[in-house]
Amino acid sequence: MDFLRRFLSYCIFFTFFLCVRCDEFREELFFKPLPSTHLYSYFQFVTLVDSEVSSFHSHLAPRSLAEVVSRFQVEELHLTLTEGQWRHHQWGYPVLDAAPGAELYAWFSPDVTDVDTQWKKLSATLSGLFCASLNFIDSFNTVTPQMALWPMGAVKSSQNVTSQLRYASLPREIVCTENLTPWKKLLPCESSRGFSALLNSRMIHNTNYHSVGVHVRKVCKSSDCLETQLEFKQTVALIYDYDIIKSNDWSFRKLFGQGLPGACPLSTDSKIYVDVTSNSTQPFTLSPPPDNIILSQRGRTDTKLAVYNIHPDGKMINIGVKHKTKSQIPVSIHPPLFFNRYVLGYGKEFGGIVTEITNNCLAPINVVVLENAPWWLPIQLSTLRVNGEAESKLVQSQYYSPGRSRQKPYHLELLIKLPPKSTTTITIDFEFVFLKWQEYPPDANHGFYIGSALISANLPTARNYTSLPITGTTFDSVINDTKLWYPIVFRTNGAMVSLPTPDFSMPYNVICLACTVVALAFGPLHNICTKELVLKPSGTSLSLTQKLLNLFKKKKD
Amino acid sequence: MWASASFVGVLIIIGLPLWWKTTEVYRVSLPYDKISSFDTLSHSITTELTVLANDDATATEIISKILNAFKDSDVTKLRITKSLISKQLLSTLDAVADEHEAVEEVGAVYDLTKHNTFYVVQRKPLFQDTWLAGDRVMFFRDAKASNTVAEALKRVVYQTSVVEGARSETADAARQTRFPPGAGYHIVLSVVHPRPDALKVDLNAGDAVEDYIGSFVDEMSVLHNFTLKSQWLHLLDFDFQAKEIKDTSDWGRHYAVRQDRLHLLLTKLEERTATHVSELPTINLALYAVPCERAPLVIYDSNDKKVESHVQAFMSPKWGGVVVGGPSEADCRDSSPVWKPNVRVIMGTFISQLRKLLGITDAVHVNGAHLEPLRSVTPRQWEIDNLLRIRTLEQLTSAERTLQSLAQLLGEISNIVINDEVGASINSAVESIQRASELMSHGDLVQAYNMSQSAFLAAETAFMEPSLLALLYFPDDQKYAIYIPLFLPIMFPVVLSLKNLILWFRGKPVHKEKTE
Repeated sequence: MDFLRRFLSYCIFFTFFLCVRCDEFREELFFKPLPSTHLYSYFQFVTLVDSEVSSFHSHLAPRSLAEVVSRFQVEELHLTLTEGQWRHHQWGYPVLDAAPGAELYAWFSPDVTDVDTQWKKLSATLSGLFCASLNFIDSFNTVTPQMALWPMGAVKSSQNVTSQLRYASLPREIVCTENLTPWKKLLPCESSRGFSALLNSRMIHNTNYHSVGVHVRKVCKSSDCLETQLEFKQTVALIYDYDIIKSNDWSFRKLFGQGLPGACPLSTDSKIYVDVTSNSTQPFTLSPPPDNIILSQRGRTDTKLAVYNIHPDGKMINIGVKHKTKSQIPVSIHPPLFFNRYVLGYGKEFGGIVTEITNNCLAPINVVVLENAPWWLPIQLSTLRVNGEAESKLVQSQYYSPGRSRQKPYHLELLIKLPPKSTTTITIDFEFVFLKWQEYPPDANHGFYIGSALISANLPTARNYTSLPITGTTFDSVINDTKLWYPIVFRTNGAMVSLPTPDFSMPYNVICLACTVVALAFGPLHNICTKELVLKPSGTSLSLTQKLLNLFKKKKD
Repeated sequence: MWASASFVGVLIIIGLPLWWKTTEVYRVSLPYDKISSFDTLSHSITTELTVLANDDATATEIISKILNAFKDSDVTKLRITKSLISKQLLSTLDAVADEHEAVEEVGAVYDLTKHNTFYVVQRKPLFQDTWLAGDRVMFFRDAKASNTVAEALKRVVYQTSVVEGARSETADAARQTRFPPGAGYHIVLSVVHPRPDALKVDLNAGDAVEDYIGSFVDEMSVLHNFTLKSQWLHLLDFDFQAKEIKDTSDWGRHYAVRQDRLHLLLTKLEERTATHVSELPTINLALYAVPCERAPLVIYDSNDKKVESHVQAFMSPKWGGVVVGGPSEADCRDSSPVWKPNVRVIMGTFISQLRKLLGITDAVHVNGAHLEPLRSVTPRQWEIDNLLRIRTLEQLTSAERTLQSLAQLLGEISNIVINDEVGASINSAVESIQRASELMSHGDLVQAYNMSQSAFLAAETAFMEPSLLALLYFPDDQKYAIYIPLFLPIMFPVVLSLKNLILWFRGKPVHKEKTE
């Protein structure tokens, strides 16, 4: 009774509270067991604010981020910091895909004329905000995707969005706690309360894959879209390996090291979703039992979601799963579209990148593939082969922007129609380039990373699809969301090449050797040139040194 | 011998200068003589003062007293104009009873809105010796008040000691408190709300900042650009380590916080306020909402004495101010307590802190001189004039000192590069300094302020330019690692041959005893 009364008072308090400020904060957590022995957990913290007032006076939205967005006139921003590689063919699809390392892309407002300068400033500021090496983003690793990326938020239809877009990824970036701490500070409840309290860096960096993201976009306030709101979405995606937690029965305490200390008192809605579709094949029980179970039909795919409503009462919650039988390895069914990417070639002169895309559907799928090669890996359009053919009928449209040494990366985009039940292989050759000695990174023999390729597709089926619809903000928008197409952008795995790396101490050795040779040669040369032979009459008095020298000579004799 | 001479010729006469030229650090020529001739203590500002008296004798008396009082201060140069009050104005001044109305009457005749001017006006029906409010007018009663007039001008209106402090080598109390000069500031109000689940704070922070702080800083727009911001910091719980003390108030208790614990709160705030994303310096204002179970919080000073004040607040120099507020006992009796902060009082406290942080010093009391207390958020006109003087001097001396220390550094460290951009900003700073000191001596204060600000900013950018350090970390041992193997074996025989060469030039026999 006491609980109910308190809960009601919260409800009243928050409805009143929110109408005054008109900004909302919601937190959501989604669990999905993945084929073979993995568990996907996805945190999503969404703050919605009115876009007019947000940049100067913030209530729940992070002021630092709002200020960055307004200062650089950013319409939409996506930043992800990822460690590990999402295995699409095995795990299916994540809610939001992310490239390994750091990835940043943003659309600037149409008022911005000098996009490149603003982009440079934006990446430098974000680098300070998130303690990431985003300041290494420069014109030589930035591309402007023509077809692969489209804004997720509300934009005016007349607007030319492509020219205002910049994309860069830093595959070498290593993501760790120093990125998570500033990320947590952007949340209204920081890490003291709510779902973010679970993000214990000791546990989350112990996963197979973790990805931290910040996404800012404009969303429509109402259906007529006369007014827009700014949506700040902070996400964390984690893949736990049952082998690491040593059992396939998981619980909050096992995953995060502690239970959940209630919801964030500032959130309007705190919900936990557990995908229990696999319960029919691998029976398990959830404890405590969920508040309700929703059956969602998306396309022709049925998903069962167990839902927990979490209240800000400070009670410890420990949701867990117990399997009835001993662990069985489930058979993984390949998702509708999957891909693989690898590097070809031997030696240090030529090589190639292969991207294999498999369409597992019974319908053809149109995909846009964006290959983004750094300037030191020149890819040649003449060597492009799709399924071994130079002039393939599968390629519907093509965009190629050649790189320039130290200024611009190579950028290739292909719109390909993938035939049903087939694998398409895209091959392109590159040659290795000698770098200047200062351009080599520390530990150059480790190899050089090539960023992921982007694959943007409209899937005809919702199988393995977990993303929110483009108009959706929260997870409940997934339920019964049947559409004709399911848009998604994938990142392939990155690759690594080993460039011809010189022996870095060589220049100094050469200098020393050359100097010694010069010095050795110079002495006799100087002597021969300057000394002259003079006849000396005998019987002249000897100097002291001559006498001493003669003494030695005599002894020798 | 010709061979020896040609070796010397190639290596020493051509080689050495070539080596010197190619390894030279790039430096634009700088006006070193102008920089070294800067004398920071010689700057003075001319300001206009008009004495309006009923008769000539009184005016002369007043002026002589004022001149006497300002004799020893070389920083403020008064340009005094003497004139008699017109008959019409005199009659109206005598007719109006209220001093504020009298100020309006003076304002109708003389232009009181001009910066760097001040009027000392005689007004017979006055209860005090002198009377001063927010406008650029001071009333005095008669010639007998001349000492008070001079004193009040020196210590209240012109504050010569504070102005002098702006150009001195060591920072005085006012300079230690106020923010360093800058083109603009961000003012961020952070509402710290540690327990959003247990207490509701009914405050529109954005409106409060715009209304109160906004109208305060609007008056100071001649000095800086201000950007106002507000944010909420939820669940930022700071442990005050407060001691519960029983008393006779409604609560029956209060929590005592020792003053020396308060600076730890600033550290805690700094973690979350995100001041580093702003491009300009940020002035922090924080309102800490104490939850019911910790209210009321009272600050105790270092002697364990209660700080008697209407508002519990403290200020940190060059950082900002904090007000600690909390709900009343009646608010907390409710099941879902709501605290409606008294915006007027809290913002008033913030403004009094802002005044100090921006450089307005509190006026000292002078016997017999009446100073109208501040009734609105706007600062007094003559305070702004004085602040302009302080900032002009401060920026000018700071720019000069920056350039001087840069010149000194360039002399000491030979590796520093001065590229064209840095050279241009140093030159523009030197030029602006000269322009500003001319404008100051002409009494054109606002122009002089703007000019000194551009000098200050140019000098700072030149000093902080990262390209200065481009070669700083090029270690000498690496240079020698290249030079020694090459130059030592080559230069050794060449240098030794010099002796013979010199002898040969003088026509003396060279090979006396060298060869057999």
